[in-house]
Amino acid sequence: MNMINVVNTAARAIDDVWLPSSCSLCYGTCSILAHRVDGVVVKIEGNPESAVGKGRLCGKGVSGIMTHYDPNRLTHPLRRTNPKKGLNEDPQWKEISWDEALDEISAVLKQVRAEDPRKLVVQRTTTVTASRVPFQTFAAAFGTPNFSVSGGGQHCGNGAHLISGIMHASWSIVPDFEYCNYAIYFGASKGHAAGHASCSNMGKAADARARGMKMVVVDPICNFAAAKATEWVPLRVGTDAALALAMCNVMVNELGIYDGAYLQAKTNAPYLIGPDKLYVRDPGNKEPLVWDTRSHCARPFNEVAAADMALEGEFNVDGTLCRPSFHCLRDHLRKFTPEWAEEISTIGSATIRRLAKEFGTEARVGSTIVVDGVTLPYRPVAAIAFRGSQGHMNSVYNFYAVDLLNHLVGAADVVGSCLGFNPACHGHPDTGKMRYIPSAGPDGLMVTGMWMGYHYPYPPSEPRLPTNLGLQDLFVLGMTSPFLDSTDREDMWQRFDVPYRPEVMVNFGANLIMSIANKETVAASLAKYKFMVSFDLFLTETSSFADIVLPDCSYLQSLDSRSNFPFIFSLPAGTGEWCWPIRQPVLPPDGEQRNCADVLLEIADRVGFRADLNAAYNASLNIQAPHRLEGETRYSYAQICDAELKNNFGDERGLDWFKENGLVKWKKTPAEVYWRPFVDVRVPIYWEFMLPIGNKIAAIAEPRGLKIPMEYYQPMPDFLPCTSHCCKKSDFDFYAFYYRDIVHTNSFTMENPWLDEAARLDPFSYTIAINAAQARKRELHDGQLVWIESEAGRKVKGRLKLTEAIHPEGIGIAAMCGHWSDGMPVAKGKGVFFNELLELDWDHVSPVNNNLDLCAKVRIVPVEAAP
Amino acid sequence: MMPKHSSEAAPGNVRWDDVVDATLVQSSVMPVVQRWRDRGRPASDVRVHVRLFGALASVAAEQALDLVVAKPATVAAVVAALGERLGEAFLARVIDESGAKQRCCRLFVAGAPIEDLRTPIDTDSIEIEMILLVAIEGG
Repeated sequence: MNMINVVNTAARAIDDVWLPSSCSLCYGTCSILAHRVDGVVVKIEGNPESAVGKGRLCGKGVSGIMTHYDPNRLTHPLRRTNPKKGLNEDPQWKEISWDEALDEISAVLKQVRAEDPRKLVVQRTTTVTASRVPFQTFAAAFGTPNFSVSGGGQHCGNGAHLISGIMHASWSIVPDFEYCNYAIYFGASKGHAAGHASCSNMGKAADARARGMKMVVVDPICNFAAAKATEWVPLRVGTDAALALAMCNVMVNELGIYDGAYLQAKTNAPYLIGPDKLYVRDPGNKEPLVWDTRSHCARPFNEVAAADMALEGEFNVDGTLCRPSFHCLRDHLRKFTPEWAEEISTIGSATIRRLAKEFGTEARVGSTIVVDGVTLPYRPVAAIAFRGSQGHMNSVYNFYAVDLLNHLVGAADVVGSCLGFNPACHGHPDTGKMRYIPSAGPDGLMVTGMWMGYHYPYPPSEPRLPTNLGLQDLFVLGMTSPFLDSTDREDMWQRFDVPYRPEVMVNFGANLIMSIANKETVAASLAKYKFMVSFDLFLTETSSFADIVLPDCSYLQSLDSRSNFPFIFSLPAGTGEWCWPIRQPVLPPDGEQRNCADVLLEIADRVGFRADLNAAYNASLNIQAPHRLEGETRYSYAQICDAELKNNFGDERGLDWFKENGLVKWKKTPAEVYWRPFVDVRVPIYWEFMLPIGNKIAAIAEPRGLKIPMEYYQPMPDFLPCTSHCCKKSDFDFYAFYYRDIVHTNSFTMENPWLDEAARLDPFSYTIAINAAQARKRELHDGQLVWIESEAGRKVKGRLKLTEAIHPEGIGIAAMCGHWSDGMPVAKGKGVFFNELLELDWDHVSPVNNNLDLCAKVRIVPVEAAP
Repeated sequence: MMPKHSSEAAPGNVRWDDVVDATLVQSSVMPVVQRWRDRGRPASDVRVHVRLFGALASVAAEQALDLVVAKPATVAAVVAALGERLGEAFLARVIDESGAKQRCCRLFVAGAPIEDLRTPIDTDSIEIEMILLVAIEGG
């Protein structure tokens, strides 16, 4: 394949080329071809050669050209002259040279590194996946553990990714579209123009629907996913666990549907549980015991054939009465009757029973199928969840309960089932590099082969007195932390004797003042930094708090050697190809724009930690001899990318080869795609580790005055209400929530005029969706300007859009609109800033994974009389 | 609903463990220090040059150290020697309470990544690099 086609098609054309690269309008990072004519990119299309998108590109991707050529792009380094920082403070920017900027930044960082490197906070947006390595390595080399990804993690990462890691060894889960016959979505939109591997999944989902896959979407609003579904099931916001648990109960206790062989061989379902809710262990080797039905005694799990392990019964082991964890789970599920769940979720009990029966029956427990000549288990059902269901106080149990549906019927990483994104890779056929496979960890439970977070999902780290500003070393099931910005952050740091405070922030593109919670809280946090530098394309609401703003290159001007690696993130799951595309500059920088990765290298040189940075790159990119970065050698970012590519694909496939060819790909095998039967690992249907973790956290936190609610640390899932569910104020009768609009990415793309136009043509993108019947009851009208006011008195203003396609108690707002920065004039004043309704403190985060609670009980107050 | 591959599907009660062919997946353990074996003359000690980067260098207050550990040596023995020299605060960042390597600590022996501290060192001298690589992701 040679993508470069330099042809003079017209007498005046100097160049006319299609260059392979990678999109960056969202973290999906689909492969693109950019058509450049006479130095101007005139069109962007999907790259049909790549497995990432397969030639498809969404509306955002094709509009990237307008983001790149936006006249409001920054072209010079800026320094604020107004020392005061605040929401209403004009920074009074002045242009400065790069030397001036880097001199000042380096002086500040040199001082902080000498005092205590942990005073540096490195923050970046998740939109540009490629920024992970340069900023991760910079933080590691500098010596700070304080690294954050703003709202991207707190809103979805902590629950969805951690639990996908524990149960599927991957970042996210998705139906095996090629073979799945029945998919049920809980607040997810995979395959509907959003999220990981978005364009690939769009094609796969569409093909699956055309083939006849039934898709049920459980969501308070019927929009991008539900509109394409076979059935929309509206539920009360944040109650997904209630529905999922009731479905589990119906399947197991009413219908007797479960995959006993899977539970025996691939989960901890046979492990014996004692009255203390913990494993009963062998006194010698401390392994969990199972009941061996052949020898009629308790033996370590790894000494008994799976088929001989009891799943039910009560046994006496050396005087201790115990039961297999599946027996405990089965009993635990009995209380979640469909009638109980109806009260919680508003979904009728008959519907719940029907959904459970459909899911259980379609699972075809016990069946096999031949794929590429290999006989494999066949379970063509999948229950998936994402941001909508797990962005709540009950984040962990919501996701855990949904995924239990899969594991009860053995529909996990086998043909047709719920798949993790590429949990097992046998490596590139020529070099063996990029090889990773889940393995068995403590108690035989699965350790993921690849990860990207503070902690591996399993085994959980030992909680300890925190030294990280985000307290992740205490809350070991958390990832991105709210405590960098929360109203109670200082209280937390004092409570746990954190011996330093954040003083300097290096930010890459994150507009955290809009992307986390209400702006007042985050602004107060930002204003306290002594120094902040921000790499940005535009002057955002957050960059107005910076001391120095650096003009970054757009994705069309940037280089990146690993657009879609790790494969657990945004390479399509399922059959097909492994694919490694790169991003390459299609256009030169404008003005004084510079690529952030090279700027970070220069800062390291000026501060004097290049050797650390080279070591960090070696570690992060797994570069090995003879391509390792050596000593204090001043490599450019292009040289580092070249080293990684040669390290992974051989000397003949360096950066120049990739610039010409765009990507390398090779075929996936059935043993990689459907890896679970081939790897001797188990996953927990009973989270025995939760109790000890909770107790250890409590032992540290409670003597310091922070009560840990142990109901969140139980080994089996439950429905626990959000703060919004507990609101008793009489006129607060709606649950406000946000959803991801498919024409926008976070707060970033509102500045793109084509996408803004598309959003203005969409009746919902910039309005407040409300159930039509409920609105009419209250004499509210389509187009009416109203305040949406939270219990805490925070409010946002917008115009109502009446619709039948929303739950009667729901108020749906597309995130994250409502910009106010003059630096983004296209975006300014458009839509509704939902996050203003969110509180940011301990009382509004999951006490397990610190995921932010993303719903708010609200009332509607008309601003003006009905039109 | 008819599955796409209904003709291939074979309903029954087939056990998961009956369809496993473990030979399709080989061990992922890498022969990390094999290539340095049998180099040099036999000796009773291993000379180890340790280079610490990032936060580990901050805690240790020195970036390069030379250690001597007795044969038969393992990476764990080197880490223990580092702990004795640099103290508990250093050690806590490298290993957890069970003595296993912290996931965020990346450790390279002669340029090759090591996950298992029990990995033997069968050479007279060797260089070890260590760095904490705190990663996080969202989205």
